[in-house]
Amino acid sequence: MSALALPSPREEAWRWSALAALPALAEATPRADALPVAPAFGGPHLTFIDGVYRPERSNPGPVAVGAVDAASAHPLARLATAPGWTLALGDDHAAGLVEIIHVSTGGANHVPARIALAAGAQARIVETFVGDGWANRLTAIALGKGARLMRALRLTQASGFTSLRDEAEIGEGASLVTVALGAGGAGSRIDAALTLTGTAAYAEMGGALLARGEQRHEAAVVVRHEAEKGVSRQIWRAVADDTASASLAARVEVAEGAQKTDGEQSLRGLLLKRAATVNLKPELEIFADDVKCAHGATVGELDAQALFYLASRGVPPAAARALLTHAFVADALDRIGEEAVRDAFIADADAWLEAH
Amino acid sequence: MLKINNLHATVADKPILKGLTLTLNPGEIHAVMGPNGAGKSTLSYVLGGRPGYEVTDGTATLDGQDLLALAPHERAALGLFLGFQYPVEIPGVSNVQFLREALNAQRKARGEAALSAGDFLRVARTQAGAMGVDMDMLKRPVNVGFSGGEKKRNEMVQMGIIDPKLAILDETDSGLDIDALRVVGDGINRIMRKPDKAVLLITHYQRLLDYVKPDFVHVLADGRIVRSGGAELALELEREGYGALAA
Repeated sequence: MSALALPSPREEAWRWSALAALPALAEATPRADALPVAPAFGGPHLTFIDGVYRPERSNPGPVAVGAVDAASAHPLARLATAPGWTLALGDDHAAGLVEIIHVSTGGANHVPARIALAAGAQARIVETFVGDGWANRLTAIALGKGARLMRALRLTQASGFTSLRDEAEIGEGASLVTVALGAGGAGSRIDAALTLTGTAAYAEMGGALLARGEQRHEAAVVVRHEAEKGVSRQIWRAVADDTASASLAARVEVAEGAQKTDGEQSLRGLLLKRAATVNLKPELEIFADDVKCAHGATVGELDAQALFYLASRGVPPAAARALLTHAFVADALDRIGEEAVRDAFIADADAWLEAH
Repeated sequence: MLKINNLHATVADKPILKGLTLTLNPGEIHAVMGPNGAGKSTLSYVLGGRPGYEVTDGTATLDGQDLLALAPHERAALGLFLGFQYPVEIPGVSNVQFLREALNAQRKARGEAALSAGDFLRVARTQAGAMGVDMDMLKRPVNVGFSGGEKKRNEMVQMGIIDPKLAILDETDSGLDIDALRVVGDGINRIMRKPDKAVLLITHYQRLLDYVKPDFVHVLADGRIVRSGGAELALELEREGYGALAA
């Protein structure tokens, strides 16, 4: 694996990345001592252990497993050439909630996926990453006219690294909503290029990154509006404790002619310790004149007045911090439409907050 | 119950309390009145343990325990309730969620069993009902979007749920119209007017004292109690102003 060529932190798009552990993980051998992870939502589910599909732990429903029609020039995602999974739905088909469980036991695994929804089709997918090692994923998404895709990504590996790359094309009136939660002990990079190719398309990507210890979490999302009347939302919350860092780079590009674009970025960071770091980089690049793009970026600490108020009622300091931090991330996780999924993600975030 | 002796405190190195001495016995309601800047709010924050308020001399004990050595949440577990002049808004945290956590943390610190969700809701419903507060409001984020009067009622609901031994109420009457004043006054009497409890009412004006009859009234000026008396002292203050008395 000496061919592993990683982007340099000197490149602007990778300046906050922490990829130093990846070469060693790429050369390590998985222990293959997979912990059993039960599906949580009762529908079709697929389990990949160290990147290999495990039919005995899966019930794939509408999902096909095998070679994937997806390729990327992205420096990490281009490694995802192994067999993976494809969810392709025809016109007006709707799939129930599909769950994909990625277990890593050390080493590195690279898995591609493709989600292709024809006109009017609807799908909901939740992906969970557990274990350790380097889980590297490419997800190519194509949404036809009026298609709707809701994704929820739960990064709860105990250690190692999770790198995700989404490349999406969103057609006329179609909707893509992706909500991510980083609440494990691993480092991460959530990377996406979402392109609104059809009129009145909707793209939303956001979530909560919770980092402690020496963790490095990072999300880098580019939303490109190529057609008129598109709407995009990027709602991220970054929490950093100890000496950890959480970084958000969110970019909106509005191409010439993409009039009546409505873009919004809300990036908020919370520092739980003075030695922690939150980096926020909202970016706008607009080549059309009739657009509405709002962006907000703020970093702060927990409100001292609120902490004292809670303490004066008897709430101990650690519980008070957990309550306020929960409140800080809740509006990002509340974007998950599926109640059971939302509850599970909030429970994971709370478990992270209570694990002190 | 509460014994404050020669209390000195500074805020940002500026002396505010300059030798304050005051004793509250069980069953007593004391009013502390005084002009702006006398140190009334500082007194409540120092007793509550707010960061930034530094005690430089003196003592304060609650039932013999050194209050000043305790963290704010430990003072609460000991039975101290601080009613805020400006109750804090906490987006994203519901009243019931935080109050159940608060009450059970206090119970745990005292070695009592936690209240179940059902038992807690029963207590909350009773206390909210007594203050004319809708349960839906209690399920909303703490004080967010509440009017001034609603915030003060919410303080009283919290006090009813927590059921403290000693309440220090900082200008609980500010921002209340006449009707709300009566409701809040009735709440203080109902929850706190008991032989084993005590109240320190901090107020600018006499009008709350029409509803909550104090056993003692003290005038606080320039960081000290300069005069003490019975309920009639409040009326005298109202008539003659602080200037004459503090002189």
